[in-house]
Amino acid sequence: MIAPAEQQPFPDEPEPIRVSEALRIETPENVVLDYQLAGPAPRLLAYAIDWLVRGVILSGLSIVASILEVGFAFILGDASGAAVGMLLIVWFTLEFFYYVICETFFNGKSLGKHAFGLRVIHARGYPINFWTSLLRNFLRPVDAMAFFPFGIRFFPMYGVALISMFASRKLQRLGDIAAQTVVIAERRIILPREPVILERIQPLERSEIGSFRPSYRTLAVIDEFLGRRHVLTHERGHALASVMASELAERLEFRGDQRLVKDYPMAFLARVYVTLVKSEEASESEHARTESQSDIRGVDEAAEFLVGLNQ
Amino acid sequence: MNKREFVKSRKPTWKRFEYLVERLSGGAIKRLPAQEIADYSQLFREVSNDLATIRSRGWGQDLESYLNHLAARGHNTYYSAPPARFSRVIHFLTSGFPQVFRANIWYFWTAFVLFFGSLGVTWAVVQNNPPLVGKVLAPDTQEMYEKMYSHDPDRKDTGFGGGNVFMQGFYIKNNTSIAIECFARGLLLGVGTVYTLLYNGIAIGATAGYLISLGLSQQFIGFVITHGSFELTAIAVSGGAGLMLSNAIIHPGQRTRVEALRVRGMEAIQVMFGAAIMMVIAAVFEAYWSPAPISVVFKYVVGTLMWALVITYLALAGRDHHTRNLQSELGEIDAA
Repeated sequence: MIAPAEQQPFPDEPEPIRVSEALRIETPENVVLDYQLAGPAPRLLAYAIDWLVRGVILSGLSIVASILEVGFAFILGDASGAAVGMLLIVWFTLEFFYYVICETFFNGKSLGKHAFGLRVIHARGYPINFWTSLLRNFLRPVDAMAFFPFGIRFFPMYGVALISMFASRKLQRLGDIAAQTVVIAERRIILPREPVILERIQPLERSEIGSFRPSYRTLAVIDEFLGRRHVLTHERGHALASVMASELAERLEFRGDQRLVKDYPMAFLARVYVTLVKSEEASESEHARTESQSDIRGVDEAAEFLVGLNQ
Repeated sequence: MNKREFVKSRKPTWKRFEYLVERLSGGAIKRLPAQEIADYSQLFREVSNDLATIRSRGWGQDLESYLNHLAARGHNTYYSAPPARFSRVIHFLTSGFPQVFRANIWYFWTAFVLFFGSLGVTWAVVQNNPPLVGKVLAPDTQEMYEKMYSHDPDRKDTGFGGGNVFMQGFYIKNNTSIAIECFARGLLLGVGTVYTLLYNGIAIGATAGYLISLGLSQQFIGFVITHGSFELTAIAVSGGAGLMLSNAIIHPGQRTRVEALRVRGMEAIQVMFGAAIMMVIAAVFEAYWSPAPISVVFKYVVGTLMWALVITYLALAGRDHHTRNLQSELGEIDAA
């Protein structure tokens, strides 16, 4: 979002450091990808799931082990402790290698992370390997330290990790900083729905508008705004649209019915959009538009305002 | 071409790629048949290209974030880490670990002095002045140790309680955890690592001095000498790995602290992994060999050989690889 950062009331003050959830990575395809970093809450929930999974495995095995020990005692007359010994080895493996095994073999995901759509990747965008995973997970004992004296014995509180995450720009715990990894949230992929059925909207008369043509960006904002209009009430939609509608009407030197702009700005925007898209299809002159872009700041700012309100 | 036409013409491509990405979710790309991998590669590049087009034309945030996430997930699936190979494990054990270890030998020597120094001093002091052991070990702990080691070496039932398998599990869990925590605490500017090294050095030294002052030196040294070669060395090695982390934070040199921690951390973790393996080996010896009813002299001989083996391994293994394996290995990690 590019919204109101430029209009700082006191330009002399240094710009505040923003805590951003976005991570930019340039891929070998020369495409810049934006990732969303995962914050403490989803990560704690994912941890809780992993903790439960390990807990269930261990409890199940300890029941099996006790039964075996009783069996040994009954048959051999002496509980050998062999089953408990194996249990301890499993415990050790789960404690220090559960995450390493998961993250190495499932490309940065453990069961809990998978459940919450999280993934560990290298901060430069490539996948993590065995050593990276081992480093970030062997450092867990320090991250897991909590700062209260009574600390819950069996559920590590990750106090150090929390502070580290808030102190670092990329929401990294200490293990992440050392291994240079980040945890990202992979959102579900949904193609934005088709905005409006263009055929049913009547374009404006050519005689009603002047020669001004807004930028692609402005048109895209109208397009997406109309596509999302079902999430707003009618009044709210018109109220949001009126800012841009009146600005556009002025720029376009709109000479038609002014009530359309005042009372039904959403409809006005839709009709402007249809008109301009239609006219664009008629004349494929893209250069003319880019040249006129310098004098459309007002409309663009209104568009940004609209984007800001929408998100 | 306007936005609508563009979306209309590209949508089948995006949907197809979306389908492939969803199907692969979590799995490796090599699970797909060859033709689909080729398709995937082609589609991924096309989607990346479309994303760039939409960005440059400013065709809307919704569409951009849709394609961004599609490409991002595609990217994560497409570029997954190379599969681990067994030969790499062998290579790590035969030359990788000792090489990284020697490249950072001074951290080890520091940890060595802290651990074995405190151990030796406490041992000497307590042996010459046994009542001092009360300052380190609680009375019931003293009694427990005394009972453990005063058993008759020829009896099958050792005084250590529990079977061998149980003790193996216990040693692996307990001792290896201590080593890993000793390493991790290096992040606390080294305070945690130094504390762990001194604490364990003093505790072990006091136990040794106390038991020998009781005249149990044969039982004690016979028990400890074999697995001690791996175990005590591994504690110092893991302490050294922890100090590598601390030093990266305290003396980052020309790098930023974070960058220094990353570079040093990649070597430290390899040293630590080696130490963990040594700990597991030690646990096996400690559970099966050390308490076995074998003549003490034989144990001394085997124990001494083990010390020689550990020292030779750490000092010499991988030296004949003149091709700077260490560099290439670290380089690969960087570029992987």
